[in-house]
Amino acid sequence: MKRILIIDDEASITRSVKLNLEALGAYEVYQENDPRTAVHTAREVRPDLILLDVMMPDLDGGEVAAELQKTPGLQHVPIIFLTAIVSNEETQGREASIGGHDFLAKPVDLDVLVNTIESHLED
Amino acid sequence: MDSPSAQPVPQDPPQQRRSAPQRRVAITAACLGLVVVVAVVDYLTGVDLSVSLLYLVPVCWCSWSAGRRAGVLVAAASAEAWLTAVLLDGAPIQHPWVLVCNTLTLGGIFTLVATLMATLQGTQAVLEAKVVTRTAKLGREVAERRWAEAQLRQAHAELQRTQMQLIEAAKMEAVGRLAAGVAHEVKNPLMTLGMGTDYFLQRRASSSDEATLLQDMKDAVHRATGIIDLMLDFSKPRPLRLAPEDLNAIAESALGLLRLQLLKQHIEVRRLLDPALPQLPLDRTRIEHVLVNLFTNAVQAMPEGGTLTVRSAFQQAAGTDDSPAVILEVEDSGPGIPHEHLPKVFEPFYTTKPPGQGTGLGLAIVHRILQIHGGSIALGNRPDGGARATLTFNLHPQPPPP
Ligand SMILES: Nc1ncnc2c1ncn2[C@@H]1O[C@H](COP(=O)(O)OP(=O)(O)OP(=O)(O)O)[C@@H](O)[C@H]1O
Ligand SMILES: [Mg+2]
Repeated sequence: MKRILIIDDEASITRSVKLNLEALGAYEVYQENDPRTAVHTAREVRPDLILLDVMMPDLDGGEVAAELQKTPGLQHVPIIFLTAIVSNEETQGREASIGGHDFLAKPVDLDVLVNTIESHLED
Repeated sequence: MDSPSAQPVPQDPPQQRRSAPQRRVAITAACLGLVVVVAVVDYLTGVDLSVSLLYLVPVCWCSWSAGRRAGVLVAAASAEAWLTAVLLDGAPIQHPWVLVCNTLTLGGIFTLVATLMATLQGTQAVLEAKVVTRTAKLGREVAERRWAEAQLRQAHAELQRTQMQLIEAAKMEAVGRLAAGVAHEVKNPLMTLGMGTDYFLQRRASSSDEATLLQDMKDAVHRATGIIDLMLDFSKPRPLRLAPEDLNAIAESALGLLRLQLLKQHIEVRRLLDPALPQLPLDRTRIEHVLVNLFTNAVQAMPEGGTLTVRSAFQQAAGTDDSPAVILEVEDSGPGIPHEHLPKVFEPFYTTKPPGQGTGLGLAIVHRILQIHGGSIALGNRPDGGARATLTFNLHPQPPPP
């Protein structure tokens, strides 16, 4: 079972994503709503992939990603950003990435989310 | 900045001025000739006082037209000629000194007249010259003032343009901030709704009603997302990806996307595409978006069918500052746009369509996309009914406003 960590300050989002992914039976999902403790949680969970919200209070997604990247053992964990302030059009095409990571526009459809997760877990 | 064009100062052409001394000599000679004629007449009529007054004619003429010195010369010659005529007349002369006196008096009068005439003429010439200089100066002043006025007008227009651009930029920034704020506040809840709906859609619905309801919810989430996305793209367009493109080809592919709609509504498409269009630096996806929006408006304006005309042309002086430009016109045979609506159609969220059918963002986005391409769009009505959108692409695009 692949382990996925979702970091978003809105609990309703992490909860709904967790329920959806777990219902598929292929993932173990962990949620984190406080960006300041996100790195700590990630170190404990050792996820295979991280879903990361961009706009969060206190610490934004970019900063959390930078922290994760510095943490031994987490450098190569793929990150998929989730962001509310871009349009779908902007997320299409290969150039849609922040610092080399993919990003998806909220609200994201379950099938798109699963496809993106799978494409990262494959390689 | 160009300086005021110098007003030509009216003056005698140089050639005429060079021949003035010759003219004087010629006049003097003619006057002397006239003096001789008068003297002959004087002699023949027996030296009569009234005939003697004729000597004044050449004196006046000469001093007026050839100056004082020539006038005095002719005056002296006249006195001399009178004396000659008297002497030749052969009448007995009782007192030779009376003759001398008369000659001197006549010569004096003639000279006086000549001097007076010349002075008069001189005064007039000075006056005339003054008038000429004054007129020239006035002309120059008027030209200068006109130029200054034109400058002022231009500066004013520029100021207005800059102001409009600043307002536009400020507006766009405000819209951008608002859009980002709205996007954040609305799309996060939409994510929860979407995920929740997906969760229930994944499990088998217990009834078809439930399935329909869930699908409707999913569609509602998509629709709301679409509106926010339109707003985001409008306020913060992603950078243009320009490549040399054939506008006709883009029009064709946009028409292709609407083929089904055109068929269903029995809309005939007339293509008047100029095959010799130069290529333009365009962002293909976005220009296609522009044309799909315009064609959609046209199609929606012709629910009972009609004709959609797409015309393209290269024009030498249609662009900004009369630069060469490519024009694309989209015409329909619908009802057209009421005159009082025309100023509002480019405003975001302005729509006359029922709720759910139009967002009113179509033309606002079209306008924005053309603007960042350095082109423009005008919307109007055809004389024989129906709306016409005219797109102008400058061949040498102006830098878009900030
Ligand atoms: N070809 C046309 N004929 C008549 N009216 C038009 C035409 N094109 C635009 N309009 C008028 O301009 C309004 C604004 O057009 P615009 O494309 O911006 O929004 P919309 O078409 O109402 O909505 P949307 O494009 O988002 O579906 C329309 O509602 C309509 O009243
Ligand atoms: Mg429209």
